[in-house]
Amino acid sequence: MIDLKNIEKYYASKGIKHYVLRHVTTTIKQGEFVSIMGPSGAGKSTLLNILGMLEEPTYGTYEFMGEDVTSLNERKRIELYRNHIGFVFQAYHLIDEMTVYENIEAPLLYKKIGGSERKSRIADLLDRFNIVAKKDLFPNQLSGGQQQLVGIARALAAQPSIILADEPTGNLQSAQAEEIMQLFQKLNKEEGITIIQVTHSEKNAGYGNRILHIADGVVKDDVAVSNNVKI
Amino acid sequence: MFKLNLKIAWRNLWKNKIYAAINIGGLAIGLTSCLLLLLYAGYEWGYDRQFKNSPHIYQAMINLNDQKGEVIRTINQSQNVMLAALKEEFPEVLYGARITDVYKRLVANGQESLKLDSRYVDPDFLKLFDYHFISGNSTKALNDPNSIVLTETAAKKIFGTTDVLNQKVRFENQVDLKVTGVIKDLPTNVTYGFESLTTFNLYENLNQWPKKPNWGSHDYYTLIKVNENTDIEAFNMKLKGFVGKHFAAAKEDVFIYPLTKLHLHGAFLNGKSIGGNIKQVQLFVGLSIGILLIACINFMNLATANTQGRAKEIGVKKTMGASKTDLVFQFMLESFILTLTGVLLSIILLEFSLPMFNRLLEIDIVFDYLNPANWILIFSVLLITGFISGSYPSFYLSGFNVIQSLKKSLNFKKGYALTFRQVLVVIQFGFSVVLIAATITIYKQIQFIKNTPLGYRSDGLLEMPHEGLLYEKFNLLKTRLLSSGAVVGVTQSSGSISNKNSSVRGLGWDEMSESDKMIDFDQMYTTYDFTKTVNIRLLAGRDFDQKFASDTAAILLNKKAVEVMHLKRPVGTSVIYQGKKRNVVGVFDNIVWGDPSKVAAPMVIAYADISDVITMRLNPDKNLSESIGTINKLAKELNPDFPVEIKFIDGLNEIKLKNEKILGTLANLFGCLAVFISCLGLFGLSSFSTAQRIKEVSIRKILGASITELMTLLSLSFLKLIFIAIVIALPVAYYIMNNWLMQFELRTSLNLWMFMATAMLIMVISILTITWQTYRAAKTNAVDALKNE
Repeated sequence: MIDLKNIEKYYASKGIKHYVLRHVTTTIKQGEFVSIMGPSGAGKSTLLNILGMLEEPTYGTYEFMGEDVTSLNERKRIELYRNHIGFVFQAYHLIDEMTVYENIEAPLLYKKIGGSERKSRIADLLDRFNIVAKKDLFPNQLSGGQQQLVGIARALAAQPSIILADEPTGNLQSAQAEEIMQLFQKLNKEEGITIIQVTHSEKNAGYGNRILHIADGVVKDDVAVSNNVKI
Repeated sequence: MFKLNLKIAWRNLWKNKIYAAINIGGLAIGLTSCLLLLLYAGYEWGYDRQFKNSPHIYQAMINLNDQKGEVIRTINQSQNVMLAALKEEFPEVLYGARITDVYKRLVANGQESLKLDSRYVDPDFLKLFDYHFISGNSTKALNDPNSIVLTETAAKKIFGTTDVLNQKVRFENQVDLKVTGVIKDLPTNVTYGFESLTTFNLYENLNQWPKKPNWGSHDYYTLIKVNENTDIEAFNMKLKGFVGKHFAAAKEDVFIYPLTKLHLHGAFLNGKSIGGNIKQVQLFVGLSIGILLIACINFMNLATANTQGRAKEIGVKKTMGASKTDLVFQFMLESFILTLTGVLLSIILLEFSLPMFNRLLEIDIVFDYLNPANWILIFSVLLITGFISGSYPSFYLSGFNVIQSLKKSLNFKKGYALTFRQVLVVIQFGFSVVLIAATITIYKQIQFIKNTPLGYRSDGLLEMPHEGLLYEKFNLLKTRLLSSGAVVGVTQSSGSISNKNSSVRGLGWDEMSESDKMIDFDQMYTTYDFTKTVNIRLLAGRDFDQKFASDTAAILLNKKAVEVMHLKRPVGTSVIYQGKKRNVVGVFDNIVWGDPSKVAAPMVIAYADISDVITMRLNPDKNLSESIGTINKLAKELNPDFPVEIKFIDGLNEIKLKNEKILGTLANLFGCLAVFISCLGLFGLSSFSTAQRIKEVSIRKILGASITELMTLLSLSFLKLIFIAIVIALPVAYYIMNNWLMQFELRTSLNLWMFMATAMLIMVISILTITWQTYRAAKTNAVDALKNE
């Protein structure tokens, strides 16, 4: 599904190149649950941003579903966002002026999905995540864990094939974090959604089935994880 | 999507109430000013266009030429025979009418007697203008010489009803006329307005002079309707030499000019139109655009300043697959919601301000809710405003980079974004500076003209029309007035001391040159006591005196006349005046007679018992209202059929500065509005900016900065902009006002202090506006601010 070849990213300032990523080459298949780990400043988030096409690599090729997307035009990229990619953020990034219901609805509106279909999908998601009662509340009326649930529901609304999560539990207490991770695992196992997350926590990485260790912009280690954490 | 965007827009506005209020309030004020000015421009533009025939009505104009055939002056009145001659010789001319100047004429029906604005016109006048007849037959209404057409209001004033067909009225206390038509009141934006119309035939019957064919005197307006496919330029070529053919001595050419252009483009130089009121209209349209722009700039500035609050939303939406178009659309929608609210509010404001505006300009604009044109106007203003004010924020915001906006580290690239906003603030304040400087200049000019010596004492000077029985009883009135003690001087004259109404050329004197024949002299007729009553200073000789019988053939000259005639010993010289030899008995100081902004013209005061005005000087030792009462009583006794109309010369002089006063008031009003709207924007902007810098302020505070130092720091970034605006705008204001002053012969000078005052005023207002915000920011608790980060 994702094919990275020799991805490099650097910022040039005063003639000196500051590398963020070097020679990143990897393949991620459909249905994998990959965790990207590493110390602060290692380039995890940059890699995730490149995967999410929010940043362009300085060098290298990136194929997403068989298509070269290293320099994709705006329209095509928007198409990918609408149909294939869901983002989950550490700070949830719900739109404060929208209710829970509206937040989940927004991507469907951009995807131009009809009214009745929209309703049933949102109802389904609210139901699955146990937040039906909260649907008319605004983000600031929810706890962090609940906000992140809404964030994930919103990412799932457009039925993406891949979810990119940047430290999804970074702002949460451990119980809530666990809940979110279990949800990810379930989505991955039961619905076959590819998940790529950036995390600091070994425990969280344990929910996935592969870990990419990054340090100083280089992939140091690529290990498979035997699923020892119960659902 | 649309519905959701709409909802979000409302929630956003609700959340930022102050921001919304500033925006909508500023917009509403801006829009109201803009609409007022545009309605006024429309009113001016609509002059004389209300009639079916309007596009085909032309006025005969006369170019007066000098010896070499160069045009000296263009006048809009023509000879009494012009119409007949044109009709006879040119088949293109279908019909037309002669029209007299509008005069107050006495109309009475036994119970009511009052003075109506009246004109004498040829019957085809009603064919030219399709007035709305409430009763009577428009085609025949003026066929009988003794008929009169009244407007609705006039009919109601005299009879109390409009159902007055075939009723009799007494006209000028001379003749009985039959009401043959009542028409709906005219709009006020017509050149040839009136309250009553009588026939030109009647005019000829009541007076001797109009009947005699006369190619030498230009007294009437001549309007014609030409065949619709006439080539006007070619027709005007044919008219060259037309007057000369009929009257060899004439040095003039007639040409026809569209009536619809007369009001706006009625000023001529060298026989060519050089504009006219159109300049005022352009000025107003410019002003309206400027004010609207200021309001739009507020919007743009506040919306973009608010970006930090919106950045996250934009970033998230982009990752959900929102395209740039989606986002632009969303922000445009928000802009339109604000604008729409502003427009609705401005319609309410318009309702309240229109009557005041009308009173100020002495016009009569109504906002007609049923008129689609008005809605088109409002709708286009809405579209333009919404678009202009929404465009910059939309494109600016929607172009955000996702990662930056989500990281909340939206570092506004120092440079571009901020600079554009700064430019906008500079434009706003620059505009305000120009308006304030203009206001000061206009007031100074008005003051200057007011303070220019008139050459006579205007306070305590009164006049009333010389009419009816007062002609034969003038001496009796004079004696009675003087003996009553109410006045200390009474005189009669052919015109008011406050208004130039006549001039003459072709005076002759010894040693004159050929070109001196072309000098125009102001002229006035009077009998005795004129200089004494009006208090004109005599420089040499004396006034007309009853003791000298020869004085009935004497004249007085003013100082300017003596200068242009190069008379060394003016008193005693004889001058050929109107073909007769007359003796100069006195020289008087120049007086301001016509346009007070013009240098005094040479003037002749001739002895003649031709009079329209009685001028009186009040007794300064007597009570004013008692004196007026006495004058009223005495005049009524001697001339019972006419109402007594006493006017103060001071008041009449005041009217002459009306245009300048209006301009001053408008510049003042809209200048203040512009400053106010700009300050609203500045207030909003400074609140955003200080909020953004709160962390910096807190750190500086911890490092030991005092409140004053912090306030200076925060204010300085804005005051810098205001300063730039002042530096740019003052030369512009100087240039514009210098140009404006050029139209006056007597003009005030532009001093440094005026511009310094403008600059100071704007600076002080700006500082006051910012201070509250900066003070609040400087007072914040540093710990709180830093904790929030």
